[in-house]
Amino acid sequence: MLKNSPTSVKPQNKLMGADSGLGTGPGPAVPWRKVLWERQPFPDNYVDHRFLEELRRNEGLRQYRYWAVVREAGLVAQQISCVALFLTLWLYMEQGLLSPSTLLWSGLLCALLGYGFYQALGPQGDSDSQQRTRWSDLQSASIFLSFTFGFSPVLRTLTESVSTDTVYAMTALMLLAHLVSFPYAQPSPPGSLSLNAALFASVCLASRLPGDHRASRGLNSSSPSSLHTFTMLCWALLVFALWPCLRQRLRECAPQGFGCVCLLMGLSGVGGLGSIWPGGAVLLAAVLGAVTLLCPLLLIRLQSDKDNIHGPWDEAEIREDLARFLR
Amino acid sequence: MVLKIFFPQCCNKADSGLLVGHWLPGQDSAVVLAVIHYPFIPGQVKQYIHQVGCVGVGWKNEEAGGEGKTKEEKTGEEGDKVIFVHYEQRKVMLSQLHPTDPPVPLTQSTSELRQVFGTVSQSESLFFLDKYDDSPVKLTHWQSEGREGSIIVELMKQASTPVCLLTAWILVVCSLSVSVSRILNVFPLRFISSKLCSCVQLSYRTEHLQTVSSPTRATSHTDYMRKANIFMSFLLDVTLGLLLIYWLYRENRVGQLANALLPAADRVAKELEELLQWLMGAPAGLKMNRALDQVLGRFFLYHIHLWISYIHLMSPFIEMILWYVGLSACLGLTFALSLLSDIIALLTFHIYCFYVYGARLYCLKVYGLTSLWRLFRGRKWNVLRQRVDSCSYDMDQLFIGTLLFTILLFLLPTTALYYLVFTLLRMVVVMVQGVLQLTVDFINSFPLFALGLRVFRSYTLAEGVKFSVLCEEPGTPLHLMMDINPLKFSSVVQTYRTATYSCYPKDSWLALCKKLFLGELIYPWRHKTTKID
Repeated sequence: MLKNSPTSVKPQNKLMGADSGLGTGPGPAVPWRKVLWERQPFPDNYVDHRFLEELRRNEGLRQYRYWAVVREAGLVAQQISCVALFLTLWLYMEQGLLSPSTLLWSGLLCALLGYGFYQALGPQGDSDSQQRTRWSDLQSASIFLSFTFGFSPVLRTLTESVSTDTVYAMTALMLLAHLVSFPYAQPSPPGSLSLNAALFASVCLASRLPGDHRASRGLNSSSPSSLHTFTMLCWALLVFALWPCLRQRLRECAPQGFGCVCLLMGLSGVGGLGSIWPGGAVLLAAVLGAVTLLCPLLLIRLQSDKDNIHGPWDEAEIREDLARFLR
Repeated sequence: MVLKIFFPQCCNKADSGLLVGHWLPGQDSAVVLAVIHYPFIPGQVKQYIHQVGCVGVGWKNEEAGGEGKTKEEKTGEEGDKVIFVHYEQRKVMLSQLHPTDPPVPLTQSTSELRQVFGTVSQSESLFFLDKYDDSPVKLTHWQSEGREGSIIVELMKQASTPVCLLTAWILVVCSLSVSVSRILNVFPLRFISSKLCSCVQLSYRTEHLQTVSSPTRATSHTDYMRKANIFMSFLLDVTLGLLLIYWLYRENRVGQLANALLPAADRVAKELEELLQWLMGAPAGLKMNRALDQVLGRFFLYHIHLWISYIHLMSPFIEMILWYVGLSACLGLTFALSLLSDIIALLTFHIYCFYVYGARLYCLKVYGLTSLWRLFRGRKWNVLRQRVDSCSYDMDQLFIGTLLFTILLFLLPTTALYYLVFTLLRMVVVMVQGVLQLTVDFINSFPLFALGLRVFRSYTLAEGVKFSVLCEEPGTPLHLMMDINPLKFSSVVQTYRTATYSCYPKDSWLALCKKLFLGELIYPWRHKTTKID
């Protein structure tokens, strides 16, 4: 445990103009006042013994505890493993190990399961509002599916003329942006930038899938079929948009289950990547370990080097409590 | 104090007599206008002088052979220096000091030179009596040898009134008939006729003719010059037009032109088709989205096909149309040029259409992209506050927005390329039309009459005067000769340019570039609806 108490600064007597000893006779009879507009017999940069009396160090310092920080850092690790899982699915589809139809049906199944869990864990309102919520959810789902299906043929040839390196670079950038801008504190309505970046990356990846040889016999073999694109986009929606909501609900209602789920996600991420690319799995494990275990340690260790000073020279903070003006 | 006396040169050799003239207040100058010879009856002379409105000063001009030495006594102060400034009366009488406007009455505040010129030109009534008239008063001035006149000028003056009346009547009838026929279809015809250069030019010339053929005389110098300039430019225009007609119809050139027109239109269409095929491939190594490329390319190719069919349909009538259109050049070369500009506009109508399609598509895309980019970052345009604010979107809005953003972003290079190509083509056509318009404008506004005056009678347009010393000896007054400094050519053109509906660029370069970038439709030339002077 680290403790920091605010220290006080001893008055510095060797500052110039201190009233104890000028050498040119006794000090002036009038005491020095800290005002700006009055002409005083002191030089302009004179300070007296009360200098820096109001200095406070490190006030409002938080006391971190290691395991609490680790638990919070686990959220970041979880999001990283989500991304890794998504990439694993893409790799599987690219290498032809999974067919899009199986993936599609499993995705649909997962969505239904997840929705069931969500409703089961959710607050029990009256059946009327639940009915309305279910109806609006159904509407949203149908809009998603129809739009995605409608745009898939357009989306699949979108990056045909862009070189593969550019596509991969854009994907990496977008996923990084997604991780950086993810609202870890409140993930339930997903943040705009993070969700959009993830979807952009998934569209880029989806247009790079190899084609379905049955459907595209006469065409260029590297253009993916619409089903690939559709599957990819559905899974992107599941992983990046709907899973955080379920996770948040789980965390609120069943904290122990939440811990298990976190662990499961991490392991499946590493395992999935390991089945295709072992080097990547090692890298992912290292990153996860660093984020979860090393960074909190660093944070707590470095707290002792903190040295903030506060004083009356700080900017004024407006407190939100203006209710006393409303009579 | 120095006294200046402006003395006409024609009176140098006159017999002795009484000098009549004007005294310029506040300038210590006097302008001598004429000499009344002996013998005269003082009462009649006084009456005459009063009638004419001059001041007669009791000086005597004593002639002593060759150079007249004048002894004068000034009423009033003695011992002043006197300067004699000799001026040529005819030239000063006929000239006009620039800048002419505004014509102010001669007060003490106008400059001395202006007062001198004004005095001489306003004393026209003094110069009517010449030596052949039987009047009790005998004068010497610049017209005393006989009044200036020419038979041609007199005949034209007599003929001008009925001609003016006739022209005015014809114009009224024409405008009435046009306005009657226009009442039938108010909106479309007016819109079309405001866009066609030839209609604009026609209305402009009608206005000019109305100015010229008004039966009232021109009062001020500016009006007179303007009428004369308009008339001369109209004559020049018609002459050039008749020359053009002569050249066109001499060796059946109209037929040759008509025969050359159809292959030219075909060739333009072929070039456009090749351009589109090039765009549909991989132009300049750029990578286009194949599907969109094909769609756009096929769409434009179909348009060209339609256009070619239309031209082929019209081909039997082209020669006849051209023949009648060529005849209309008798109304002036400017009319023919504006007709040519209109024909070019009609022939390249498909380029204009392509430009509008490409620009609209591009504009829509840019607008969509900017709006969706804001959605990407989680922001929105606040219309009330006219700024960008943060906004929390729904999940489906986000999803669909991202999809559309991705699609628009990747399709942007294709659309941008088509837009660029068609904008360049349109710019070329606009440049050609602009050059024609500038020529028409030049012919319309060039002040031919004023330039002719400046070349042949340079003293009529005066900018100032210059003095040269005639005789400078101690003991005698200083004699100076005043010569008129004519106006510079550039000033002549600038002052007497006829007001036109000249077209000038509507936007600055920066605004134009911004409009091009955003895909807004540009109409670079703007016709001024009100005249400028």
